[in-house]
Amino acid sequence: MKVVNAIGKLCPMPIIDLAVAVRNSNSGEIIQLLSDDPATWADLQAWSRMVGHLSRQINPTTFEIEI
Amino acid sequence: MGSVTAIFTAENRIHPAAEAILQEAIAQGWSDPTKLHYSSRRLAQLLSEAQESFSRSLQIPSETIHFLGEPTLGFHLGANGFATRREVYLPATSRQEVFAAISSRQTQSLPVDIQGGWVIPAGERADLLIIQTVNPETGAICPDSSHFQGDVFVDSTSDPLGKIPQNWSAALWDSVSWQGPRGLGIFALKDQARWTNPLPHSDHRVVPGGANPALVMASAIALEASITERTASLRKLQEFNTYIRSYITSEIGDVDIASPINGAPHLLSFSFLYVQAEQLVDDMEKRGFSIDSGSACISANIEASHVLAAMGRLTHGNIRLHLYPSTTLQEIDGLLNNLRDLVIDQRGSL
Repeated sequence: MKVVNAIGKLCPMPIIDLAVAVRNSNSGEIIQLLSDDPATWADLQAWSRMVGHLSRQINPTTFEIEI
Repeated sequence: MGSVTAIFTAENRIHPAAEAILQEAIAQGWSDPTKLHYSSRRLAQLLSEAQESFSRSLQIPSETIHFLGEPTLGFHLGANGFATRREVYLPATSRQEVFAAISSRQTQSLPVDIQGGWVIPAGERADLLIIQTVNPETGAICPDSSHFQGDVFVDSTSDPLGKIPQNWSAALWDSVSWQGPRGLGIFALKDQARWTNPLPHSDHRVVPGGANPALVMASAIALEASITERTASLRKLQEFNTYIRSYITSEIGDVDIASPINGAPHLLSFSFLYVQAEQLVDDMEKRGFSIDSGSACISANIEASHVLAAMGRLTHGNIRLHLYPSTTLQEIDGLLNNLRDLVIDQRGSL
């Protein structure tokens, strides 16, 4: 599982870092995103809806995205 | 920083129709309207005429109108004046000022859908419902509240044309929303017997102190002019709204439009994926376009728009546009072309 560490980064950087990782991933892969930006979960849900991926929140700073 | 040539922000300069009367009224140095001097009686008469003007424009009885020198105070008066109420209902997209006013109360923050819609409960006689005629960020229009059984406090601070329901109990407007002078709120109370002043008070006045008479008179003129112009330009604003939606979707892309299609046409909120809004706002300002944003990515201490988050919309890269009757197609084309170039520039580094 790929891990994108965006701890300490403010929006939109966690989502941008995630998008770069997604571009270099294959369908079916799971990416773990680490982010402590308070806007990340709201943005991740919107991003998932827009680009068609599944995402879930594991804990306040850990998220998983299914490509 | 370049000079701004086109304003798309919620705050615009005072309406030209009100400028002259504001300057004249300030120059008069009005006396206390409660005294018996000629100038005081004259001022009392002018204020009464202004009150009647507000009554006609806002379609509420003149005796319910109270002028506030600090509009934000009206949120506290409306939300906490019905202090004996059992439950307080309000949508999750309510203004932060409202949430702050009721922070010590038991409340039901009602969820909204992705279009900003929400379901108003029937409630009970002892309940309070707080609604917005129009959401100031997205332009989403409040659903029908006529079935609610309790008191209804209406936040109409973002749109003077927003329709207040028949069963309103209290309502609040902000002069700035119709290009009136800053520093004036209109607080209306239908039945004072059902309301208890939540502020320290020594008499039966609903609002403390008073408002500057010059602002009251100028604001009444601005409101009349603004309603006339807005009503006449509704179709134009709707066409501009549709035009902008089409452009940002087809020419820029990866955009999440938070404003519902059937919302107020003068408000438009949308978010560009992978774009930092603060940089976009700064760059647009340098190019002569003044715009707002609901994003707050520049500091971890500032939360992004709770309205966008509640709707499940993208909170970064957000732009808010306020269209005016005076807005031109040329200004919109300039705005859109510059937005496109700047968004492409920012995404280029992705």
